[in-house]
Formats: sequence, C-alpha cells, structure tokens
Amino acid sequence: MSELRPRLDAMRPSKPGSTRTADPRPPDQFPGKGNYFGYIAFGLGSSVMLLVSMNLLRSIWALMEGEAAFRALMDSFGHPLYVLFHTIAFAWLVWVALRFFSLFPKTQPFRMGPFQRPADGVLVGGLYAIFAGATVVVSAILAGAIF
Amino acid sequence: MANQQTKTIVVTRFDPDVDEVPKTQEYEIPVEADWKVLDALNYIKDHVDPTLSHRWSCRMAVCGSCGMNVNGVPKLTCKQALSDYGDRVEVQPLANFPVVRDLVVEVDGFMEKFKKVKPWIIEAKEAAVTEGTNRQSHAELMDFKQFSMCINCMLCYSACPVVSNEPDFLGPAAIALGHRYNQDTRDHGSAERNEIFRDDGGVFSCSYANECAEVCPKSVDPSGGIQQAKLNNVLDWAQGFVVRRGEN
Repeated sequence: MSELRPRLDAMRPSKPGSTRTADPRPPDQFPGKGNYFGYIAFGLGSSVMLLVSMNLLRSIWALMEGEAAFRALMDSFGHPLYVLFHTIAFAWLVWVALRFFSLFPKTQPFRMGPFQRPADGVLVGGLYAIFAGATVVVSAILAGAIF
Repeated sequence: MANQQTKTIVVTRFDPDVDEVPKTQEYEIPVEADWKVLDALNYIKDHVDPTLSHRWSCRMAVCGSCGMNVNGVPKLTCKQALSDYGDRVEVQPLANFPVVRDLVVEVDGFMEKFKKVKPWIIEAKEAAVTEGTNRQSHAELMDFKQFSMCINCMLCYSACPVVSNEPDFLGPAAIALGHRYNQDTRDHGSAERNEIFRDDGGVFSCSYANECAEVCPKSVDPSGGIQQAKLNNVLDWAQGFVVRRGEN
C-alpha cells in the first residue's frame, strides 16, 4: 500500500507565506486505529446497504415475472455464499444501526421547542425501542402472523 | 532530585533553508515527575539545543498555542503530562498542516477558514441605547456555551480525516464556532452563515469520524455542533419551500 498522504493544499493559505514549508502529514492513526476504523467501517455500511437493496430490487423484479421466477430466486438464496453474505450483511447493518443510535443524541439541539433535550439515554433507549418494535413487526409479517 | 529520571524525546526537525523534508532528532534529557510535555521541549530549548522551534505561551491550556502530535495523537503539550508516556516520547508538528519550522505549523490557512464563517455577532440593525441591553436567559446561553469554549488550538484539524482530503472543508473548529453564533439569540446572521455552511466544504462535507471531539482539550464537541448545524440547515432549506425568505 502506498504511503497515505493528505492533500498538500489541505490547510495551505491562499497566498504563500514568506518561508518555504514542509508538506503536511496525514493524521498518524489513519486509517487503522482509534475512531478511524469504526468510521470507515460505518461508511462501508452504505456499500452493504447498496448490495442488499440491489438484491431486494432483484427479488421484486423476480416477483413481477411470476411465481416460478420468484421461487427460483428464493432457492438460489440457499447457496452457501448467499447465506454467508446475508449473515455478514445482517451483522454489519445491525452494528451500523447501533452505532448510529449511540451517535444520535449529540446531533440534536440542546433545546427542542420549550423543552430541554432529553437525556442521551432516553434518546438512545427510544431508538432501541423503535428498532426492536420494527424488528418484531417485520418478523411477524414475514412469519405470516399478521397480514 | 529523587524524582528525576531520563526520557528520550524524539522531535521532528525541519529547517526550510536546509532540509528538503522533515527529519527526527533524539534528545535524552533528565525530567521531573510533574513535567508536562512542554516542559521537556522547553528544557531542550534552554539547555540542550537552542535552535529548536516550537510555539507556546500561557502554559495553562488557554491560549491554544502549543498543540502538537505527541506519540501520534494531537495534544496540548502544556496540559499533557510527560509521565503518561514511556521512556521514549515522539513529538511532531500537528498533522494536516504545512510545517514552517520544526514543530511550528502554518496557521494562515486555518485563519482564512475561520473568517469565512463570520465568527462575530451580526445584528439586523444597530439598536439604540435607549432600547436597553440584549437580555439572554441561562437556557439560551447554554445552547451555545460549550462551543464558545474553543481555544483555536487546531488539534481537531490535525485529527480530522476530512481535512486531509478536502481542501475546501471549513473544518471542525470553524463550523462549531459559526454554529455557536447561529445559536446566539443576539445574532441575526444565521441566514448568511447557513449559505456558507451549505456550500462546498461546508457542514455536509463532515462524515462524522468524531475524532475532533475525541482530541479536543477543552471538551468542546465540534462534531456535535456540525451535526446540529446540518440539521438546522436541512430544516432551513425545507422551510424555504413553505416560508419565503425574509418572512420568518
């Protein structure tokens, strides 16, 4: 891997100073340590979402083509590579959701209308509750318990 | 001198008249148990090598002059205890900044970004003295107080991976400060600042690595401020569809 370098003009003034300067270095721990690793993994979560979304579209497309095409697609999902992909995707997306929950409180203003921002635990707990509720509802739909 | 021991301080050196690129130099010096990293640098400057260049002033984590990377992490050297490290301590200039000399970095680029967010109170119109003082409640003060604690030490710029890759990015401290003024009830310049925030290099360039909040020596949370500014800008943008500018 080539040496990681920052853009040399990242913090350079618009007019050069009176002395020659050395090029900037990148942050020392980038990209493998500290929060950087989690940050990059979090960002890569969007790629996983893209792949899952494409699979979803493919499923809808197969559904439009008829029952036989849909069943063939469902059968193909039993392939070990698909099972592995879906396992990884599930774990990754759960982690992305949980990380988003932990980061969520400080994105909110300190006051919401006339009220103070609720404690971080309340906001995070609310998101967990929504997440759990949505999981239960979707699971029930998939199991045929409702609808 | 019962508490005295020795440590090796590895310092980045760069002389623009001589060196093509920075190099390192090691100094083995006696240190006291209660020293900060800055004390070690000052000892080197005073007793070993007077050519060493580094910035410092207040020695009490207020002026923001002595920010450097210590063992790879941006720190205020006047606040960081030398005893937190082993026998070998590496001190480098702040990452992401051009180096003027040794541990001194070029700050003009930072100052240019700082000015862009108009970090001052913008009044809609000058109030007459007879109208009395601007009154602000404690709750209103608390909306922005933590962002006003920034000492412009630039550690957040050194830690931020977006700063490394997007030259136009305003950066953590500047955006947090702009957000501070947007939250101030005495200020009427949020529309102007939000235009800047929504422009290239504004708040939406931040991808929330959160390193700025991790390294801040004053417990300011620039990443939180940036995310709040993003939310405000989205709401401001959406509001533009239902309320014409100037009517709200």
